[in-house]
Amino acid sequence: MEDKEERIETPLVAIVIDATPAKKFASQAIIDNGSTMMNRIFDALIGFGNAHLMQGSHNKLAVIACNSKSTKFLYPSENGDSKSYHNRPGQYDMFAKVDSDIRHGLSELILKDSIDHDSTTSDSLLGGAMARALCHIHKIQRELSLSHQLKPRILVVSGSSDSALQYMTFMNVFFTAQKENVVIDCCMMDSDSGLLQQGCDITGGQYLRIPTVVGLLEYLLWVFLPGPSCRSKIVLPPPTKVDYRAACFCHHKLVDIGWVCSVCLSIFCKFSIICTTCNTEFKLNRPAIVPSKPKKRPRME
Amino acid sequence: MADEEETNEYRWESGYEKTWEAIKEDDDGLLESNVAEIVARAKRKRAALKATGAIQLGMMRHLFVVIDASECMFLQDLKPTRFLCVLKLLELFVHEFFDLNPISQLGILTTKVKRSELVTALAGNQKKHIEALQQMKDTSCEGEPSLQNSLERAMNGLKNMPAHSSREVLVLFGSLTTCDPGDIKKTIKSLKENNIRVSIIGLAAEVRICREIAKRTGGTYNVLLDDHHLKELILNQVQPPAVAGSMEASLVKMGFPGGKTGSGDGASDSAADHAPAYCLCHIENETSCLMGNNSGYNCPQCGSRYCELPVECKQCGLTLVSAPHLARSYHHLFPIKPFIERTEVPEMTHCFACAKPFGELDPNVYECENCKQIVCLDCDLFIRETLHTCPGCASDPITAQMKTN
Repeated sequence: MEDKEERIETPLVAIVIDATPAKKFASQAIIDNGSTMMNRIFDALIGFGNAHLMQGSHNKLAVIACNSKSTKFLYPSENGDSKSYHNRPGQYDMFAKVDSDIRHGLSELILKDSIDHDSTTSDSLLGGAMARALCHIHKIQRELSLSHQLKPRILVVSGSSDSALQYMTFMNVFFTAQKENVVIDCCMMDSDSGLLQQGCDITGGQYLRIPTVVGLLEYLLWVFLPGPSCRSKIVLPPPTKVDYRAACFCHHKLVDIGWVCSVCLSIFCKFSIICTTCNTEFKLNRPAIVPSKPKKRPRME
Repeated sequence: MADEEETNEYRWESGYEKTWEAIKEDDDGLLESNVAEIVARAKRKRAALKATGAIQLGMMRHLFVVIDASECMFLQDLKPTRFLCVLKLLELFVHEFFDLNPISQLGILTTKVKRSELVTALAGNQKKHIEALQQMKDTSCEGEPSLQNSLERAMNGLKNMPAHSSREVLVLFGSLTTCDPGDIKKTIKSLKENNIRVSIIGLAAEVRICREIAKRTGGTYNVLLDDHHLKELILNQVQPPAVAGSMEASLVKMGFPGGKTGSGDGASDSAADHAPAYCLCHIENETSCLMGNNSGYNCPQCGSRYCELPVECKQCGLTLVSAPHLARSYHHLFPIKPFIERTEVPEMTHCFACAKPFGELDPNVYECENCKQIVCLDCDLFIRETLHTCPGCASDPITAQMKTN
């Protein structure tokens, strides 16, 4: 595969983890050997990250986590200081580093969030995390020498449903990813997300909603570990039909036929005289009504 | 009389530009930081030239491209010939145009032998235009161009377009003469009456009539310096232009096919929606593709099937688009404010967006006004040119809300 070009293929996987606690784990009980569902999920993700690093010596990894309060780079660690990690003898050093960085980073993120208990109401900041992932990919691309060819992709692991308020951020991220040839894959745990489905379709990635969270590692290794170049050779879950309808700006419900303002391109479900976004008045196709002159009443003196 | 000592020397006399003097070694004898500074300054200057502001942009554009196919286009001052160079750049232009203006339409005209011909009519499908441009490589360039004929033909095509769209013509003119049947000033007057903006790119030298046409109709006229400059000039036309004067705004009815059924809006899900059908976009050729179940898009108003979007439904006239097509243009409407340049801030050791540690090569860092996060120069350019979203603002729960609400 690499004979024609002398460039070394360097796959880079950026895992974006949505660590919003509330919805995912409200119904999950602690299972068998005492580890909670959350631990299992993070174990699975670290396992997947290490499996990717194991595929080739040049492979790169980046992990970013987010919740409803902030986003954080877990690996490479944000502060640059590597905490001391304990690696088992014979274990590849990098795996231990990845493991320790991710666990430390996640615990910091969750502890920071636990002070304020409003996190159940606001939406997860997935858009911001994906934007940071793209900037990181852009940086790695710049820093890599010409003999390497970067093949970047983003894997989003989330359990939250869509937030209509972050629509602009998500669409900007998807178009940027399409332009930079970054494939966005998505592994949804609890609910479906129409926006992420659109993103996977736009960039040519794989969208999967897994039925049981316990088998997360198996789904990740089966579906998401092979890169886009190998995916044509294996049989993957069938693509979902993406709902490309737009949501109207007034009620946020999906419309089949809508009215679009020609100035600002905002979508409305009903014809109206004025656009609420750009405040332009629309020309109405009605014959002009001649205003009648107000009659002056004769004054009674 | 001896003006060798005069500071304002002509270039050919002896005043060479001593470009090597711009680079100086710093204290340690290293050139790296100096070179990096020059590169950074050049990058920032390029980015700052783009104007941001709340100006009204013409989003729905109907553009005619007029290509000069006269004898002078066989000259080889642009390699391999002017004509082939222009065609290659126009392929790139068509691709970028539909990328940035997905709901716009483009048409191509050529002018030669004192006449003008229509190559492709106004359409929103980029493949057709790119194929037409590739087939044009074999046509011969002969005769003299006619500006008036081509402008009249473009005007006939644009006259009937709805008033809320931005009507434009882009002329790539390589000749120094034009052979017109009538008075071109009348054409200019009617172009102005129809609100058509004509922009001209000259490939040879500045021609006075071109300057006048561009000025009167509100377009731009530029003459290229070399082929890189030509590419820049052509790609400048991709950006939606600011609306000069009043453009009538109206609500355009558009359809969004491809939705899941059972939306409950009154449209019943008949079996015909998913049955195999021929697509209407190719039905006049023999290459009409048979769309299987669940592939292709159904027009929500009349139910006819199309294989790709955006398209204007041939049966009921409804424009069909998908939501990402409109969303592509939204970043023009919500531009992000330029970041403030600061010298290094000691408490932030890493760029917020890419986690790169700030080193000596980054003399300046950039701060966002809203979220106060610091990013490096490369991330600043990436955010401004490609991403159009500040990662700091998107990572802050308060500012992550969409402003249209």
